Amino acid sequence: MRVTLSATARRGASPLGLGLFAAAVVVLLLFPQFVKSPYALHMMVLFFLSVIMGESWNILGGYAGQYSVGHSAYFGVGAYTTMILMTAKGIPPWFGVWVGVVVVVGVALIIGSICFRLRGPYFVLASIAVAEIMRLSAFNLKELTNGAEGILAVSVPPLTIGGTVITDFLSKVPFYYFGLGLALLTIAVTWVVEHSKLGYFFQAIREDQDAAHSLGISLTLYKNIALVISAILTSLAGSYYAVYVGFVDPNTVLPLDLSVQIVLISIIGGIGTLFGPVVGALVLVPLSEALRSNLITQAFFSMGLVSQDSKVGIFLQENLAHAHVLIYGILVVIVILFMPEGVLGFVTRLVQKITRRDA
Amino acid sequence: MIVFLQSLMSGVLIGGVYALIGIGLTIIFGVMRVINFAHGDILMIGMYLTYFLFSVFGIDPFLSVAICIPVMFAFGALTQKFFINRMLGALPQNQILLTIGLGLIMSNTIMLLFTSDYKILTTSYSSGSVDLAGISVSQPLAISFFITAAITAALYWFLMKTDIGQAIRATAQDREAAQLMGINVRWTSILAFGIGSALAGTAGALISPTYYIFPQVGSAFTLKAFVITVLGGMGSIVGATLGGIIIGVTESMSAVYISSGWKEVVVYVLFLLVLLFKPSGLMGTSRM
Amino acid sequence: MRNKVLLLLFTLVVALSSLALAAPVKIGFINSITGPEAPIGENLTNGVTMAVEDLKKKGIDVQLMKEDDTGKPQISMSAMEKLAQDGVAGVVGPYTSACANAVAQQAMKYKVPQLVPAAAKEDITRQGFTWVYRLNAPAHNYAQALMDAAFNLGQPKSIAFIYESTDFGTSVSAAGKDYAAKKGLKIVADEAYQKGSPDYRSTLAKIKAQNPDLVFMVSYVADAILLMRQSREMGLAPQAFLGGGAGFDTAQFESEKDISNAVFSVTQWTPDMGTPGAPEFYERYNKQFGKKPTYHAACAYQAMMIMGETAAKAGGDREKVSQILDTGTWTGIMGEVKFEDYEGFTNQNKHMMPVIQYQNGKAETVFCPGKVCKVKPIYPFPGWK
Repeated sequence: MRVTLSATARRGASPLGLGLFAAAVVVLLLFPQFVKSPYALHMMVLFFLSVIMGESWNILGGYAGQYSVGHSAYFGVGAYTTMILMTAKGIPPWFGVWVGVVVVVGVALIIGSICFRLRGPYFVLASIAVAEIMRLSAFNLKELTNGAEGILAVSVPPLTIGGTVITDFLSKVPFYYFGLGLALLTIAVTWVVEHSKLGYFFQAIREDQDAAHSLGISLTLYKNIALVISAILTSLAGSYYAVYVGFVDPNTVLPLDLSVQIVLISIIGGIGTLFGPVVGALVLVPLSEALRSNLITQAFFSMGLVSQDSKVGIFLQENLAHAHVLIYGILVVIVILFMPEGVLGFVTRLVQKITRRDA
Repeated sequence: MIVFLQSLMSGVLIGGVYALIGIGLTIIFGVMRVINFAHGDILMIGMYLTYFLFSVFGIDPFLSVAICIPVMFAFGALTQKFFINRMLGALPQNQILLTIGLGLIMSNTIMLLFTSDYKILTTSYSSGSVDLAGISVSQPLAISFFITAAITAALYWFLMKTDIGQAIRATAQDREAAQLMGINVRWTSILAFGIGSALAGTAGALISPTYYIFPQVGSAFTLKAFVITVLGGMGSIVGATLGGIIIGVTESMSAVYISSGWKEVVVYVLFLLVLLFKPSGLMGTSRM
Repeated sequence: MRNKVLLLLFTLVVALSSLALAAPVKIGFINSITGPEAPIGENLTNGVTMAVEDLKKKGIDVQLMKEDDTGKPQISMSAMEKLAQDGVAGVVGPYTSACANAVAQQAMKYKVPQLVPAAAKEDITRQGFTWVYRLNAPAHNYAQALMDAAFNLGQPKSIAFIYESTDFGTSVSAAGKDYAAKKGLKIVADEAYQKGSPDYRSTLAKIKAQNPDLVFMVSYVADAILLMRQSREMGLAPQAFLGGGAGFDTAQFESEKDISNAVFSVTQWTPDMGTPGAPEFYERYNKQFGKKPTYHAACAYQAMMIMGETAAKAGGDREKVSQILDTGTWTGIMGEVKFEDYEGFTNQNKHMMPVIQYQNGKAETVFCPGKVCKVKPIYPFPGWK
């Protein structure tokens, strides 16, 4: 009984799950038809961005067990390549993105050849060091990256196919669909990896490198495959971010903070699972926005829990926004200590407990 | 020639403080195999403690080391007891994330308490210097260098000669064997984290007369501490001492002979080279 | 008859002001409340708080929509999306250049008037964005004002640049290097550093060996104090230290008597630069927040005053706000403010920056724009004690 349960859980293809997923996709596809608010669309764009970053890290970190804390490197390479080509050479981003992918494959293979000689904590530190080298180089290679001043794109050229304008990128709607498309692509790639031989090799490496090696699985080859897939998807996220925001500089697309944030999405959601990063993004994106914009305090006021003019109310209004990183930190600690399998694992287990009790 | 000697001198002196940060991290890693991402934040708390003692009670930053050591030891030990000890044996990435989360909590609590203003400690000797055959030697850095040396020597003696020190070393060498020999591993972990925090806090106290203080100051030092620790060999005190001085001198020299913008890149490249060609670090064979 | 007219006028005024009070104008304020830029962001918040109080005294009730951008461009965009949707009449901020730039594009897209109070990046007002206004002087003015001061006082032949590797640091020093080349100054050192490094001694030793007449430093925060302390240690003594803004313009730097003496700096605002209301603003701010106002606070105050008055006059209509900003003139603590198009800039206030010098632990304005200052500058640098 247990075996079949875990098998379906791993395959993640139960009819109910599939139905839910399909329904969610349909809702998301129709979303911009009903919701016109640019603010809501912007939040969705940030959500998709988090999903793409989380899912791509998950392939390397979650499935193959290589905990890179340097994924900002790939994000930054994608973002910079697309922006440089767009602003300096006038190459539209839908071509630039693919150049970014080619560059990032090269970068990933170089980084892989250095970092995969190392294991465990040493691998983590090496991945940080490489990303930091990239960040500092972006500051210093002024001819290429414009240094600390960053690269600014005034407008995005319209997307045309055979002379007809498909979209001009003036509203958020095209960005929304690009984001949704990329997010679905990364989920699809993850699903394919999970259900192919590749996925089994990755998991074998994660569980026990030496055992996997003695079974004849080439560690270098498969680790690099995982890295390249992960890096390509992360660079797509970077390009997407760059075109959307229209500005890149070393401290926004290559910082250590970003690498940590990418890891957190997966870990908080549930590492090594298909929908873990989606859940992670679902938790983190609204939470940080609510804290940042003081929505939580407003909610307290409107629910009548705290009066706006009371001392507590004033204190909350003054401090809760300041404290949003603090609350973020507390959340991380709580998840790590009490939900080691992430929010998704925690919820799944809770549901199982309840259904078992019912049975 | 003067420029060379001058940068060598300031590199060695600043390296002394780096060494103290590295030793703290190396002890924590050696005993628990946990990469402590909150190390820089602990150092930051040491800085604020020093600042608080200086601005409220007028205690000299170098004297406040005597208060900093026990307070930061207790802080580290409690953090270990209530948070990190729960995670011993858990997945390594979760341990890393736990320390990241703890670091965020520390820096942001300090921010709420002290605001995010930059604080600067001004003592009579803050920009004092002694002329040594044409080379200027920073007075506060020289003092902190000697304090660092004294603390390192005392620590070395403690780990080599006392029973508790030997228990810590045994745990670092082989956790399970140590447990079988009747060493209480949870206790040694608490001790190790306490000592590591005390050292980081002390480094914070020593650096505060020549540096400035703000809640996010830690992350730069966390990265530096990693580099130093790996360079010297994880778990090796002598290695961390050497590593700190090497990093100090490398930064100083590359600022002069390459450029200030690239000096940290040089440090990270050196770090990767050591990882690749001598992954056990300079002193990797000896454990503590 | 006359009384009747007066009465009528009186009732009209009362009615109008009560109308204004009944319908507060919504104004957005995007700022770095948390994150690495938060220490400076706090000054802007204080300035805006004072402006809102003063606007209330004038009968303009502002509903302030405060948004934190945490110093990240994409977050500042979230804030702007929210504000544009909430129907603000205009936006003041964001503080950092990267954020102000990201928001500027949205201001254009959603046609929301944006008034940038203190971001120095040139590009912000050089993109032809008609909805974006800037109160403060952009980066190149920092370098020119300082170097002109040195040329006024002596005949320097060579200059060394040491600056932090940030947008602000590189753009100010790039403008400085251009200007130096134009004026025939020899550039003997060009050192960018990563901010937050505890040790600049070796870089300073290298600069000292070149023996430059001027040392031009750009540093954002407390690095300025470190640079000067270590310059003292090293015995670096040029004809003048030129501190390009920000870090050389803080109360902390001022209080470091041993190292700040005779250092020149340039700023957007000083209490004694001769603008109306500046000394009073200084006193009030000092009393209310327990510290001296920085130029960020003054810029944010003036920006919010302008936005508040304009928004009230326009009845909250964005189009009208923009029209009034295009044509209006304001006089206040920042001097005369007028948003003009010149030399490739759009809606840029031609702000003249005062040059200050620290003398015995006090910041003295030594070059006042368009006026003669009370205090005479010290030149050359008298050497270390």
